[in-house]
Amino acid sequence: MSGDKLTAAELAASIKEGALQLTEHGENVSRLCTKAQSEFNIFINFNPNDITKESERLAGKVGSGAELPLAGVPFCLADNICTLELKTTCGSRMLASYRPLTEDGAVRRLKEKGALLAAKGNMDEFGIGAGGRNSFFGAIKNPCNPEHTGGSGAAAAVASGAVSFSLATDRCGELRQAAAYCGVLGLKPTYGRISRQGLIDSAPSMEQAGIIARQTKDLASALSIVCGADPQDPTSSSCGVPDFNALIEEKPRSVKIALPYLWDDLAALEGEVKDAIAALLCRLEGNYFSLETVPLEYFHHASTTAAMISAVEAFSNLSNYDGVRFGFRGESKHLHDMYRQTRTEGFSSNLKKFLTFGALISSGKYYHDCFLKAQKMRSLIKDELEKCLLQYDLLVVPTVPFKAPLLGSGISPLLPDFAAYYTAAASLAGLPALTFPLKDPAQKGGLPVAGLQLIGKAWDEKTLLQVSLLLEEELL
Amino acid sequence: MQEFETVIGLEVHVELLTRTKLFCGCSTAFGAAPNTQVCPVCLGLPGGMLPLLNKTAAEYTIKAALALNCTVTPNLTFDRKNYFYADLPKGFQISQFFYPMGTNGYLEIHHNGESKKIGIRQLHLEEDTGKLSHFGDIISSPYSRVDFNRAGVPLMEIVSEPDIRSAEEARLYLQKLRTILCYLGISDCKMEEGSMRCDANISLRPVGSSELGKKTELKNMNSFRSVFRGIEYEVERQRTILLSGDSIIPETRHWDEAKGITRAMRSKFVSADYRCFPDPNIPPFPVDTKWVESIQASIPELPDAKYYRFIEEYGLPPYDAEVLTGTKELADFYEEVLTCYREPKTVSNWIMSELMGHLNAAGIGITEAKIKAKDLGKLLQLVGKGEISGKMAKSVFEEMFATGEDPELIIKKQGLAQISDEDTLDGIINTVLAANPQSVQDYHSGKKKALGFLVGQIMKETKGQANPQLVNKMLEEKLKSS
Repeated sequence: MSGDKLTAAELAASIKEGALQLTEHGENVSRLCTKAQSEFNIFINFNPNDITKESERLAGKVGSGAELPLAGVPFCLADNICTLELKTTCGSRMLASYRPLTEDGAVRRLKEKGALLAAKGNMDEFGIGAGGRNSFFGAIKNPCNPEHTGGSGAAAAVASGAVSFSLATDRCGELRQAAAYCGVLGLKPTYGRISRQGLIDSAPSMEQAGIIARQTKDLASALSIVCGADPQDPTSSSCGVPDFNALIEEKPRSVKIALPYLWDDLAALEGEVKDAIAALLCRLEGNYFSLETVPLEYFHHASTTAAMISAVEAFSNLSNYDGVRFGFRGESKHLHDMYRQTRTEGFSSNLKKFLTFGALISSGKYYHDCFLKAQKMRSLIKDELEKCLLQYDLLVVPTVPFKAPLLGSGISPLLPDFAAYYTAAASLAGLPALTFPLKDPAQKGGLPVAGLQLIGKAWDEKTLLQVSLLLEEELL
Repeated sequence: MQEFETVIGLEVHVELLTRTKLFCGCSTAFGAAPNTQVCPVCLGLPGGMLPLLNKTAAEYTIKAALALNCTVTPNLTFDRKNYFYADLPKGFQISQFFYPMGTNGYLEIHHNGESKKIGIRQLHLEEDTGKLSHFGDIISSPYSRVDFNRAGVPLMEIVSEPDIRSAEEARLYLQKLRTILCYLGISDCKMEEGSMRCDANISLRPVGSSELGKKTELKNMNSFRSVFRGIEYEVERQRTILLSGDSIIPETRHWDEAKGITRAMRSKFVSADYRCFPDPNIPPFPVDTKWVESIQASIPELPDAKYYRFIEEYGLPPYDAEVLTGTKELADFYEEVLTCYREPKTVSNWIMSELMGHLNAAGIGITEAKIKAKDLGKLLQLVGKGEISGKMAKSVFEEMFATGEDPELIIKKQGLAQISDEDTLDGIINTVLAANPQSVQDYHSGKKKALGFLVGQIMKETKGQANPQLVNKMLEEKLKSS
């Protein structure tokens, strides 16, 4: 499909002008999604008819002359974000046939602007990081190499070319990691930028919806629409939302970049990733950018800290899965046996380990030594990052220390979680972060080498997008 | 025999009179069909809306904290108390664990003319749970039903210090607490409907000891009377055990109203670990001074202030002041009567005997009564001026209570006005004396009883309307001169 190369705005324009018929376009999207699904298992409850129906509905809207900046732009929605018309499973047996009563605010905004919801993205059960290998609906394959994980269906769907962008959530960095595995862009905005109403989240204090796309302009288009205050979400911010589409056209001037001292001193960091990042950093110097190494003491404790806090929040947040009112129910004669059966059979063993970990470290015995210390460390990490970003525009690190892991390799949802080593700090601090894909042109059809992660000041997604566009257009 | 001191602390839950639930827009009305006042928030459905704090509930709780002399928290925060039960939709209850709304307060009870302060350790806001219903008891019931209408209704918990020393003090504390909360208009505090619930922590210790003994927690007391009876029973049970040399098992006990005993429910040794932590979905909400000041300004004169003022200003005995300030409405009624008839003790007597007697007999409160304060004042004026007798006034009052009519109208209608006209009475007295020569003779021969008989005859002749003092005076004069 031609949509693969067009930006979302260009695609919407050609649909509005009639150069591309919506029904024909819908069939095209449907065909691409079907193919991607059969090859990479990236969707849950996929039904090509849903796309046909949706494009027919949109055709009527386009005909009515409504202002639709995303007319017909296909997108994928991670399956922990609620829609009224499709099931929302969170990749879990617990919700395998669950149909929510509410619709996510961001999804509603996207639909109003004409975006075409193609399908729900496969994901790790409840979004709890296992690199796309812990879904009740099967592992997610990487479109660049199906032997390896795609991280999430949302990222793989974008990488496969089936959709223009995806809306997914980022807890300790899952969105950014999956985008890096698949060689696409991923943006987790500032905490509070996008309403959390309608998310089935597992770590409310960190989890934030974000965008995955192939082109920076598409990130900006989608972001302009989904951001903004929501009176229904007390954690959403009333901070003004700029027109990111217009802002990214401005070239950034002399961006000051900080690089953490000993950023590459990590055993889990693959040589190839390290070299690619180092090479890029060398090229950046002098070209719009100034680069300095800064000592960060607490940054390196972020993934451990985030794992602890998110485990406690998940243990509590997922307590409503008791079989009483909705979802999977394990049969038993007595209430407590029913709880046990429901949660034993409804959750995967990986998830249960994680929830047990959360229950353990928040129990009276470990509360002070584990959970409370993690909370204090979180404040230190946040303060350190904010202080650093007073002097610099951006902090750069790799997104993930390694390339997409092989499917079938061991998963450890517990500590140490090296996949989140570089991503967790921005989650804990609520700061915006963008992953930019580094591909090795010599390696045809191979896995993307790495993602370069840019961490910005709170509410400054603009700089992240401007730098991303610059890298995309001029430096690579 | 060893003497023991009783140590009691009360945990009281009251439902707040807000229109909607604590974190969603569902109605809090009592008695609706099961599961009709629910939404994704209070049902804890995945992807349900986020909790949005009901400001009125927060305001009511701050009001209570101020009225109970507590220090109010500068930041309103909520925490999750995690546990599994079928009546708890989310698997956690949103409560104020770390920073309760109010701390370090007290209330005053009055007992046998003495006052005592009972400390209030803390006061906080939380969500109520749903309601389970079983067939018979929970064990033999083949299945149970759950109604979530109550889930998420704002509940205020008030925890006292262990300052209470007897069942009677516990009852007085509870009554005073109810009086204050009703004055504030933030809860209807009906124990029978469950809008006020009370658990008691009870222990005994040797007199003179400052250490706390092993305690039991007493539940399921559904009226003021059962709080009193339950505590009395439990104190005696513990005393018997301690005197026999055994020790108290710390446990939760259930008051059985029908049998009049307490029974063990579950052991405190397996007490749950609630893993409380701040709710990440609810950002802290600042309680600024202006807000607190405006709430403070909206607090009416409270029962204790009124109580002391009634004693001071009206010279009432403490007992009268206590009874009259029992509800704000009764106190207001009393003061309104006073504006028409400024005899504080007389008005108090009328209200405490006649009015309250009638209210109790009719089983209604002062707000439902038809009789108006102004009219009672008018009635007492008429008595004061001698236009009707006290006895007549009581029958007029009865009519006023039944119909709400003006006393003058009733007096006119029933022809009850007192005859104080000396000419009229003179004629009647003469007639009666002429008709009873034997009694006149008896009087003169020293039988004083005859005078009472003659008065009775005159009253009978006038259908009780003759002014008795005047009749007495005139009759004696006439008999002496004859």
